[in-house]
Amino acid sequence: MNAYRLDSSEKKREPIEFYFNNKKLSGYDGEPIAVSLLANGIQTIRTCEVTGEGRGVFCGIGHCYECRAEVDGVANVRTCLTPNHQGTKVISPRSFTIRETLNDDS
Amino acid sequence: MIVDVVIIGAGPSGLSAAIEVAQHGLTAAVIDEYYRPGGRLLGQHYEDPNAPPDDKVWDGKKVADELARKAEDLGVHLFTNVTAWSVSGKWKVELTGASVKSVEAKAMLLATGSIEKALPLPGWTLPGTISIGAAQTFTNLHHIAVGKKVMIVGVDPLSLSVMMEMKNTGIDVVGMVLPPDTPAIGHGHSPARTLERLSDVAGLAPNPLLRTVGKFSLTRFPRLVAHALRFNFLKVNGVPLQLRKVATEIEGNGKVEGITLQSVTIDGKITGEPEHVEVDTVCLSAGLYPMVDLAQTAGCPMVDVPELGGTVPLHGPDMSTPVEGLYVAGNITGIEGAKVTIAQGQLAGISMLASFGKSGSLSVQEAKENVNKARDISPLRFMPDIEKGRLKMEEIWKEEGVYERRNHLQV
Repeated sequence: MNAYRLDSSEKKREPIEFYFNNKKLSGYDGEPIAVSLLANGIQTIRTCEVTGEGRGVFCGIGHCYECRAEVDGVANVRTCLTPNHQGTKVISPRSFTIRETLNDDS
Repeated sequence: MIVDVVIIGAGPSGLSAAIEVAQHGLTAAVIDEYYRPGGRLLGQHYEDPNAPPDDKVWDGKKVADELARKAEDLGVHLFTNVTAWSVSGKWKVELTGASVKSVEAKAMLLATGSIEKALPLPGWTLPGTISIGAAQTFTNLHHIAVGKKVMIVGVDPLSLSVMMEMKNTGIDVVGMVLPPDTPAIGHGHSPARTLERLSDVAGLAPNPLLRTVGKFSLTRFPRLVAHALRFNFLKVNGVPLQLRKVATEIEGNGKVEGITLQSVTIDGKITGEPEHVEVDTVCLSAGLYPMVDLAQTAGCPMVDVPELGGTVPLHGPDMSTPVEGLYVAGNITGIEGAKVTIAQGQLAGISMLASFGKSGSLSVQEAKENVNKARDISPLRFMPDIEKGRLKMEEIWKEEGVYERRNHLQV
């Protein structure tokens, strides 16, 4: 369903829709949010508070905190550890303009 | 929540210890940050040609699921997606993300595993640069291609295995090169040093790549092989293993778009002109080191044993520490494969049972022997001189352990 998905013999999982910076994307229920993002070709999850440069998944197991984002209103959630679900809203930290334009019925 | 034993880390050692104590009448809670139990087992998938016929494929995810199911069937409280953010007293573990705020226990086992060493190349913060462990997890557990064109920096048993796994799923791995010699990265990654290290593991390794490397008479002439590799691409699975090139910079505008390589002498000095290779993903591999933060917080003395992978908590052959009621197992005690850490977990479980006046499924001595047996049949070896490191720790324990324990009790 996504360009970066590899063939797998894994049993069928529940497809979901979720939102990254207000954009509707597809993923699978229960997989880490960072995985759903990567499946959609999204490597940049946030911007560095100091330099403004992009940052994304680095360690994949919760040690480095590079992949953190706001998830359903909770700040600084590590997307590599956090399961994705139907309707989850993921926002890049510092994306204030994006939050302001967030459509509530989305 | 109050239990007999609290275990931090639901990897192979933590789960094995939980099963052992729960089978013999103790209550246990296991805490892990990841959303499913298994730790590093979850990414592991390889073939071991030396294993018995029905045991040739090591499917880490299956092993993880079996251990977790067994622990849960025995009534172990398994907390996943839960962070243990503080340990205090004897013992209280504070949690976030769980239905309970803390777990209290008489014995605590730290099975926190290891962390990947950083490889801070210029440009390493660009999105698209990931650790080799992340690449393994994404490939084998989540079935996601980490990129369309991937370069691996760092040549070691783990990165070689992950390269094979990525290639097997059809990901275009364009090459493997070495890290550069810089003040931040150090001098440990020259072609000569890398080949020396590979020579120590090649004979024991399961995968064809390492065996091919082993054929280059590495054990006897690592420096000679390093010289010879200057003009010869060593290609395995179609992936060039460029043991005479280092990555000096990761480039890109907002994300990884390429990497700069330079040829080096066998001792890692840069020669010739830089070369640019277009890639969209870079995997960095610099090895693992024990994750000891919580042992330090718990007041356990630390010992630097390079043969084990770095600084580890002082511990005895039965996995106890000088701190009363504190035990360690798995990669926190030294970098080894899952078969060893499973045996270590059982040993730690039996030691904890003994501290409650209970006996386990084996004697401490038998469980210790099982750890050694597991080491002998382990297909992957991360630290070439691991036995030497284990002996060193036993010696230090004999010298310091009793003194430390007495000292601690007086405080």
